[in-house]
Amino acid sequence: MLEKYKFNIVALLISVTFSASGTTNQSNEIKLSFIGDKDSHAFMGVRQGIDEANIQGVFLGQRYSLTTLPNSSSAIFTTMDAKHVTYLSNAYPNKVIFNLTAEDNNLRSECFANVLHMLPSKAMKKDAETQWLKKNSDSSAKAQTWHHSFRKYAAGQLNSRFTNSTNQKMTDTAWAGWASVKLLSDSIARNQFNDTTSLLQFIKTELAFDGQKGMSLNFRDTGQLRQPLLLIDNGKIAGEAPVRGVVNTTNLDSLGLTHCPK
Amino acid sequence: MKLTSAAILLAALFSQTVLAQSTGRIFVTNERSHTVSVINGTTHQLEATIEIGERPRGIGISPDGSEVYVAISAENKIAVFDPTSLKVLRKFDAGDDPEAFAVHPNGNIYISNEDSAKATVINPLNGQVIAEIPVGIEPEGVAISPDGKRVIITSESTNMLHVVAIPEHKIVSNILVGARPRAATFTHDGKFSYATAEIGGEVIKVDMATGKIVQRISLGDDKAKPKDILLSKDGKSLYVAGGRLNQVMVLNSESLALIKGIPVGKRVWGLAMSKDGERIYSSNGVSSDVSIINTANNSVIATTKVGKFPWGIVIDD
Repeated sequence: MLEKYKFNIVALLISVTFSASGTTNQSNEIKLSFIGDKDSHAFMGVRQGIDEANIQGVFLGQRYSLTTLPNSSSAIFTTMDAKHVTYLSNAYPNKVIFNLTAEDNNLRSECFANVLHMLPSKAMKKDAETQWLKKNSDSSAKAQTWHHSFRKYAAGQLNSRFTNSTNQKMTDTAWAGWASVKLLSDSIARNQFNDTTSLLQFIKTELAFDGQKGMSLNFRDTGQLRQPLLLIDNGKIAGEAPVRGVVNTTNLDSLGLTHCPK
Repeated sequence: MKLTSAAILLAALFSQTVLAQSTGRIFVTNERSHTVSVINGTTHQLEATIEIGERPRGIGISPDGSEVYVAISAENKIAVFDPTSLKVLRKFDAGDDPEAFAVHPNGNIYISNEDSAKATVINPLNGQVIAEIPVGIEPEGVAISPDGKRVIITSESTNMLHVVAIPEHKIVSNILVGARPRAATFTHDGKFSYATAEIGGEVIKVDMATGKIVQRISLGDDKAKPKDILLSKDGKSLYVAGGRLNQVMVLNSESLALIKGIPVGKRVWGLAMSKDGERIYSSNGVSSDVSIINTANNSVIATTKVGKFPWGIVIDD
C-alpha cells in the first residue's frame, strides 16, 4: 500500500539505537526518520530538534541524524494526514510514530498504541476557546499550540533559535517537530531502552517534558500530548488555556478527551 | 631597618586587601524597569534607584566589596557601579545575552550566555575574556565551589549541570537532572551541590566526587517552579524560591523534606543571604517587591516595593 504514495513520501528513516544510555564516553548513533513534506515547518522543527539534541549529545556521546534507510527505523516523524497516520501505525507496529500535524479527534479516540500526537486535537482547541469565551464573551480568539511572539517560559529563546536557523517564524507544526525530537532525545539521554515497547512505556507514563510552555508536559493514554494552549486574537496572544478564572490553570485535563474510551 | 621594611610590607599588604567599607545596602535588579533599586539594610526603605541599562538581570559584588556588577542582557554588557556613590563606573562586553553570573574569590566573573550555549569567564577590571566554555542550551545558573576549584553551569533546555574545573576551564562532568535546571549551590565543604529544576518541580542533591544524584525531591505542587536556592549558614536548611507558589520553601538539607513554606510576594525567583546568615531577601517578580526574611523564625519581617520584575539581589555587607 505504501507503494502508492512513494512519490509524495520522503522516507528518511530512522534507527534508534536502543543501547543509548545516559553514560558518557559512549558513541551512540541515533537515526531518525521523517515521512512527509520536507518543505514543511514541521520538518524544519524536526531538524531544529536534531541540532539541539546533538548539542546535548556532545556531552553524552550520542549523535542524532536523519537517514533514508527504512529497514532499521524505530521511530517515525510524519506530517501525513489522519488516514496515513492510521496506515503508518499498522504498517510499523514496532516503531514510535510522532504525528506532527493531524488534529483529528478520532485519531485520539482510536488509541493507537504506537502513535504520539504532538498538536492538540480539535476538541482540545474547542474547549480552550469555550473557556476563553466564558470570560471574554465577544472575543474571536482561536486556540493555538504556539506563537512566534510567545516570550514567557523561555518560549522567546526557542523562537529566536528557530528563526535564527531557518529564517522563519516558529509555527504550531514547527513546534510539534522540535518538541517531538526533544522529548525523544530527553528520554534516550536518561534511560537505556532495549526496545520500542520500553521506550513507548517511558514516554507515555514517566515523561516530564519541558516544551518551553511553562509546564511539565506528558502524554495521555490516547497518545495525546497534554499541554496548555494559547488564545490568539488578531495575530496577538490574548491569553492562555486552561483559562485563569474559569478553571484551575494547572488543570490540563480541562482540555479535550482525557482517556481512551472504555 | 628590618622592622621598618617588615612594617612597610605589612602596610602594603594591608592596603591591598583592605575591604571597602560596607554600605549594608541591598541592590536589586529590575528587569522591566531597567534599573537597580537600592534598599537601606537597616531601615529596609528604598534609598535610591540607579538607571543601569536595558534588561538588568544577574547581579554580583566584587570580593573586596568595591564594585557591583550587573548583567544588562539586552545590551550584551556588564555594568559596574560603585556601591557607595551609586555612580555607574563603566560597562564592558559580556558576550551574547548575559544572564546569571557568579564572582570568583579571585575576582573573575563566570557568566552564562543564554542565547549562545556557552559560559564566559571575564576579568571585570579590564573586561578581558579569559575563557569561553561551550555548554548546553540556555545556560543559566552559575555556582562556584567554596574552594574556587569548580563552577557549575546549569543549562535549562539541555537539562544538565555542567561541572567545570578552575582554572583549566574544562568540563569535568555533565549531570542530567530534571527539566529546566535554573540554579545551583554548594554545601559549605564543597562535597555536594544542590540544584533546582523549574519545570520538573524538583530539588536535587549531587555528590560532586561521583557526579551522581544522591537525593531528589518533588515539591509536589504544580505551581512550585523552583528557581534560586541557598544553603543556610549552619548548613542545615535550604531556601528555595518557589516561583508561582509565592513562597520561599525551607527544606531540610539532608533529607530535602519540606520544613516550611514562607509566604512572600508573587512569582519569587531571586534569593540572597546576608553574610551573618540572619536575613534572606527574595525578589518577587510579579508583585514588584522584595521580602525580607528573618531566618531565626523563618518569617517575613518587611516588604519593600522596588521596580518592575525584580530579578537578582546582592547585599553589600
